[in-house]
Amino acid sequence: MYAFNYHRPNSLDAAAQALAANEDAKLLAGGQTMLPTMKQRLAMPSDLIDLSGIAELRGVCEDGDAVVVGAMTTHAEVAANEIVRSKIPALAKLADGIGDPQVRNRGTLGGSIANADPAADYPAAVVGLGATVKTNKREIAADDFFVGLFETALEPGELVVSVRFPVPEAAAYAKFDHPASRYAIVGVMVARTGGGVRVGITGAAPSAFRQTEMEQALAGNFAPDALDGISVSADGLNGDIHASAEYRAHLVGVMAKRAVIAARG
Amino acid sequence: MSPDAGGTVASFDLTVNGTRRSVAAGPFTRLTTVLRDELGLTGTKVGCDAGDCGACTVLLDGRQVCACLVPLGQAAGREVITVEGLARDGQLSALQRSFHLHGAAQCGVCTPGMLMAAADLLARVARPTVQQVEDALGGVLCRCTGYRKIVEAVLAVPDLPAEGNAPSEAPAVGQGLARRDGPPKVAGTDRFGADAAPAGALWLRAVRSPHARARFTLGDLQPLYDRWPGLLRVLTAADVPGENAYGIYPHLKDQPVLAAGAVRYRGEAVLALLGDRDTVENVPVEAIPLTWEPLDPVIGTEAATAADAPQLHAESAGNVLIRGFVEKGTPDAAFSGAAAASEGTWRTGFVEHAYIEPEAGYAEPTPDGRLTVYGCTQAPYMDRDEVARVTGLQPEQVRILPSACGGGFGGKLDVAIQPLLAVAAQVTGRPVRGVFSRTESMAATTKRHPSVIRARAAAEADGRLRALDFEGDFNTGAYASWGPTVAGRVPVHASGPYCVPHVRVRSRAIYTNETPAGAFRGFGVPQAAIAHECLMDDLAERLAIDPLEFRHINALRPGDATATGQVLEHSAGLAACLDALRPQWQALRAKAEAFNVTTDGRTRRGVGVGCMWYGCGNTALANPSEMRVVLGRDGRLTLYNGAVDIGQGSATVMLQICADALGLPPAALEQVVGDTDLTPDAGKTSASRQTFVSGKAAQIAGEDLRAQLLRLANAGPEAKLRLADGVVEVDDGGPTRTIELARLSADLEGRGRFDPPTTPLDEKGQGVPYATYGFAAQLAALSVDLDLGTVKLHRIVAAHDLGKAVNPMLVEGQIHGGIAQGIGLALMEEYLPGRTENLHDYLIPSFGDVPEIEIHLVEDAEPLGPFGAKGIGEPALVPTAPAIFGAIRHATGVVVRQAPALPHRLRALLREAGHG
Repeated sequence: MYAFNYHRPNSLDAAAQALAANEDAKLLAGGQTMLPTMKQRLAMPSDLIDLSGIAELRGVCEDGDAVVVGAMTTHAEVAANEIVRSKIPALAKLADGIGDPQVRNRGTLGGSIANADPAADYPAAVVGLGATVKTNKREIAADDFFVGLFETALEPGELVVSVRFPVPEAAAYAKFDHPASRYAIVGVMVARTGGGVRVGITGAAPSAFRQTEMEQALAGNFAPDALDGISVSADGLNGDIHASAEYRAHLVGVMAKRAVIAARG
Repeated sequence: MSPDAGGTVASFDLTVNGTRRSVAAGPFTRLTTVLRDELGLTGTKVGCDAGDCGACTVLLDGRQVCACLVPLGQAAGREVITVEGLARDGQLSALQRSFHLHGAAQCGVCTPGMLMAAADLLARVARPTVQQVEDALGGVLCRCTGYRKIVEAVLAVPDLPAEGNAPSEAPAVGQGLARRDGPPKVAGTDRFGADAAPAGALWLRAVRSPHARARFTLGDLQPLYDRWPGLLRVLTAADVPGENAYGIYPHLKDQPVLAAGAVRYRGEAVLALLGDRDTVENVPVEAIPLTWEPLDPVIGTEAATAADAPQLHAESAGNVLIRGFVEKGTPDAAFSGAAAASEGTWRTGFVEHAYIEPEAGYAEPTPDGRLTVYGCTQAPYMDRDEVARVTGLQPEQVRILPSACGGGFGGKLDVAIQPLLAVAAQVTGRPVRGVFSRTESMAATTKRHPSVIRARAAAEADGRLRALDFEGDFNTGAYASWGPTVAGRVPVHASGPYCVPHVRVRSRAIYTNETPAGAFRGFGVPQAAIAHECLMDDLAERLAIDPLEFRHINALRPGDATATGQVLEHSAGLAACLDALRPQWQALRAKAEAFNVTTDGRTRRGVGVGCMWYGCGNTALANPSEMRVVLGRDGRLTLYNGAVDIGQGSATVMLQICADALGLPPAALEQVVGDTDLTPDAGKTSASRQTFVSGKAAQIAGEDLRAQLLRLANAGPEAKLRLADGVVEVDDGGPTRTIELARLSADLEGRGRFDPPTTPLDEKGQGVPYATYGFAAQLAALSVDLDLGTVKLHRIVAAHDLGKAVNPMLVEGQIHGGIAQGIGLALMEEYLPGRTENLHDYLIPSFGDVPEIEIHLVEDAEPLGPFGAKGIGEPALVPTAPAIFGAIRHATGVVVRQAPALPHRLRALLREAGHG
């Protein structure tokens, strides 16, 4: 028989305490992945800590030349937020393309990146925009956050509080989406910043990654033609019934070009 | 409380449809469970429990969410609106009325979810655009409508007129009346298989094989009973009181209710757990003492027909279940010297019906020793006989009480949950209910037959077809199901709706260790059409004849003989369908070609055409329907209609036909549908037969009752009837005569029976297999992204000869829905056992996948049919995939010979063709 304890703390501190006190605890954000996972017994935590009652985890604000999004902010809220739409429209558009309206009304940024599904959209934004993930313990750079398949740098007892996205000069997200779930079979976030160009890719590999060869090429010439001649290897890429590794490798090139075209406006 | 509901039961307050409700349940209980089981709000449907289908969409604080993915703890303190909350003071909302009036609800099982998604949109955007509607409703799947009428219905809400359409004096046949069973569908009060059960019913869960082919033994069950006190009984094959075998054909009862020591496919039922719901749902499969001995499975027809393949059924040598054959002329000789010839091999995969309502129902022993089985079905009388067989009862001791059926498409022509429920109820003497999970429904129930087709065709220089030679192997999976129907129907249809002097068609249905393949909208004809239409495009290209004109030259016309030697005398309207398409065909082809020369070439446009024909009813077999219409001494007029309505609208169409035959308005008729204790046998809802066959029976029944009334009133055939307050008024031009029904010695009853005239086929397949055929041609306009291998449909134009559109709105609904399934067959749908047993890995079309559809109805009357009508259900699907493949070919030169043309497959073909 499987049973577990359910907590619904109303402050970040209380959540952190509950998490620290229960080694096998899991966090519940919007529930879009956690609920079916647990109902199928694919996760069987001793304790479930529901973060939906914590007001401080929710909302968007400007912080210098960055936009900070609270971990429990829903995709629909990010998509509709005026700050996001004016400062980083590519992020708003990405959020507006996640799943379907039902998912966007429930799913959260923190839930998405902590789950680190290889096909989730947000990891491309975190990596492509060079964001910083703030937890209850520290700040984690985008490049260090996604470690592997469903695996992040988050340690036991650690929970995502917010994500800080630097405002780019130009950015766009292009994805080849799964026809049913709208997950990214391949999604590419291209961003031009004062410091150069970043290319964050999701869907293609076990976890989101940067394509540095493309970044270098685009730093010299932020145009789709700059990507001509860059061949993406299928080695280590995901292959499944919807797309082989070879097809995904091909899609990385196509979607990167389309993202560059969109970012150029 | 379910143990996975989280912690201890607590009381949660939430506002549901404006009323504060307190619910005592675990905090991790799904909101769907709370609504349906705790609050009795069964309007919220469960289609997948995974957030894929959207049938459970409700509003949470005004925003649409999947209730299956909201834990009660997160709904606490918030406001929930369900479909039951849309009506005000018993009056349907404008949105609900618009769905009803526009035919946006067919089976109705997705309707509550669609309505709630639309309600969310309309609360924020008073006059949405098409794109906004498609985006807002995009998380809800529908398998019936093809989505277009749903979009129309939402767009029409702001300008929907108030109610008050006066009843029309005009004939009902030909009017696009809203469905008779529509209001409860939009109100959320229609009862589907999972929505009703007797109090105290036991729950049933089937334990299914994880292996495609294996032997198994069952250990001691006592520890299981000891561990789970709520587990009342575990049923095995030995418990089946009747014959542990069922099937469609009298000589092919090859599928067990519960497997006896060996399984033939992954998903086959092995045991049935009975007890309280929480227990049977939560007993882990690892705790059940089953020991498996997996064997190498036989996968695919090539492996099954290999010389060393294991024999899967003792009676079927070489694993060939059955062969079909048609031969006319001298096909071998005819290929030599033809001006043009072409050949190829085509493949299609398993296709899942993906009705949004998984199988569900209950069985209940009644005090008179009989058994009632309630649930979703397409074939109540066949279900009755199979339930009787497995329970050991006589057919008359079984009552099938169909629930609303949340989609069928052939998949609910086989029994699936019924034998399990019936056996369990019979063994325990208690009511037993069950609901298949989405995964279980997909793993366990029938599919469209995968096919491997080798075919060649030849034509004269002037474009006239000379010969066609076709060999098709159809993977019927582990059990026979409707395999013989596919093997028998394909040879009749495989040369297409064309006049071909020399034809040979061989078909085989072959057993494998895969999911049983059964009936699916078209019975093999859609697979065959992909091959013959490709051959038509090949020959047209070789002879430099326009593809549409090539088909027009060869179209079967009245006076022509079919491949079975049947001379069509009436109602063969393919040429008229092609004539209807021609202006659009020419304009769209020219536009596509102009686009392709003036753009960068990485997106290419094309337009293709596909044609079909489809025999209505059984193939060369008796196929009767009976109808009964009773005018009671109490003044009530009731049609006893055994034709179950699975969403296509027969419960409305039969009323229209019967009403006109009788000479009273449809509103005067009440109806009892598909209850085997009350309605005569109207056969199964399949083979595009209900309008043609049962409709004719309804017409005859209406005419019979009318004749009785006219005799009583001594009135002439043109007399007008009126029924009110227990009195029939008969107006024959002179003084009005009245019949006071209460004074009659007995109720008046009109009966009708129709069995379409056919003949058996001889050893060369020659004869009259069907009394009539539907014809159609569709064109598809699309673009292909050469870099991605994706296809974007722009427009479908569909021309259908259906004899007479009894209800044009419902006909359009059938065409839209068939086209959507044709799009799925062409571009998306491929069921892989064990890998796509859900609605995110198995893709079905959603809003954005179905383009604008333009319909031309060709009414080439069928003299045998009711008011000239024949069938439309299957014809709607068949030409779509061929038209799409023709359009891809026009756009890119690439010839698709494997369905579905998934992006990575099409991309590979494009590369081979030099498209970079």
